[in-house]
Amino acid sequence: MASRRSGRHEGEGGVRFSRTLFIALLVLSGALIAFDRPETRSSGFASFRAGFTDIAAPVLELAAQPVRGLKGIGPYFRRQGALADENAELRQQLVEARYWEDLAYRQRDRIEVYEAALDINTPATQERIGAWTVADPEGPFVRARLIGRGRDAGIDDGYPVINLYGLVGRVFESGRRSARILLLTDLNSRIPVMADRSNARAILIGDNTAYPRLDYVGRDADIQPGDRIVSSGDDGILPRGLPVGEAVEARDGSWRVRLYSDQAPVDFVWVWPYQRIEPPVDEPEAAEVEAALDAPGPDAEGSAAAIPDSEALPEGDEQ
Amino acid sequence: MRKSSERQTPYWAAAACALSVFLALVVQAAPTQLVDGVNIMPTWPLIAIFLWAGLRPYFMPPILVFSIGLFQDLLTGAPMGVWALAYLVSISALRFRGEDGMPRDLPPILARFAGTLVLAHAIAYAAGSLALGQLADLRPLMIEATATMLMFPLIAHFALRRRRSSRTGFIGG
Repeated sequence: MASRRSGRHEGEGGVRFSRTLFIALLVLSGALIAFDRPETRSSGFASFRAGFTDIAAPVLELAAQPVRGLKGIGPYFRRQGALADENAELRQQLVEARYWEDLAYRQRDRIEVYEAALDINTPATQERIGAWTVADPEGPFVRARLIGRGRDAGIDDGYPVINLYGLVGRVFESGRRSARILLLTDLNSRIPVMADRSNARAILIGDNTAYPRLDYVGRDADIQPGDRIVSSGDDGILPRGLPVGEAVEARDGSWRVRLYSDQAPVDFVWVWPYQRIEPPVDEPEAAEVEAALDAPGPDAEGSAAAIPDSEALPEGDEQ
Repeated sequence: MRKSSERQTPYWAAAACALSVFLALVVQAAPTQLVDGVNIMPTWPLIAIFLWAGLRPYFMPPILVFSIGLFQDLLTGAPMGVWALAYLVSISALRFRGEDGMPRDLPPILARFAGTLVLAHAIAYAAGSLALGQLADLRPLMIEATATMLMFPLIAHFALRRRRSSRTGFIGG
């Protein structure tokens, strides 16, 4: 009598190996790869990922402590000879920085006078949120960093992230206690930028190299090697003027950017809770406007209630 | 043939297996770039999976191999399923069969690991490129594979030495 074959094999010295389970896992892997694409990731997948990193963040933070203790050990030994020169240069920069500090204070006072004259109430300056990097896998598929603060600290998707020197990237997965930053060098990173000197616009596109490329520059764009590249704020996602890097001309004539943020390891960063500027809403229908004007009630409260929501100023316009 | 009583104390081995896999995953995601010049990270989880699948096969069933890969995907921010699929297929195809199937000499283990490594990274590259919708960056993958191959003999040497010195021939047993 032929023995009945099952999917479970016991012939490997007690090692259980279920063929059915193996095939099921293969199918599950394929499904995950098909549906967890970064560009079309559903909110369910994003929430699951964020929840996982929330749980893992404290452990990774603990593991990062000894690594953080070794931070800078390389530069310390390498730069001993250059310390005196660096010190002199820093002192010179400090003198120049004091001039700019005075200028900034004067400009702030002037703006306050203008705002008082125009009776403008600008929203209070939002505090930047400091966070430590707890994981920075250098993988072939994503250039990202995990930071140890999330939505509980006010961080949300899309917020720009900067370090001491310049723009690092944007938040793209935010959990309650952790968030993942998509670096400017990642394949999926697209940032509208401009040359600070000439206002020539371009898109900074990450391609997993240390020097992301400037694309959509235009034929006669006024860009020169060494130009300071800043965020243009054209898409409303990022504020205008965040320092990004220096323009570098590649051998093939294309433009690339040497990132300012690369001057130091991306360890401590600030997340800027910048509210995206929404595009203007559609004009209200004439009938809605007439209805609002004809609404009964002389009191201001009743009139305000009759104005359709679409006429309310978008949040970003206040800034 | 080994007595059955010799296989009844797997607790230390289980703890060592769990700890090594946990450490491998944590170190894989650790911010090593804070230390200047160290940007190379071997694929520690693959080393752990391969060795434990040889030393204690019943500690590394397919579901656990899949889970470790999935954890790595989530920790490193890669699309889910990439490393899970890579580990699952490569380990299932090239693991040492049987409870005591792992040789006691290093060269055959190295050869088998090299095959596993190449297969795992090839699958990860293909799956990752598919998920990204464009070709993934090959350079870090090759650096990672090279670093793993250079690091593996050291870990395997200690694992084999511990195995030889143990009474039952198995780590923790």
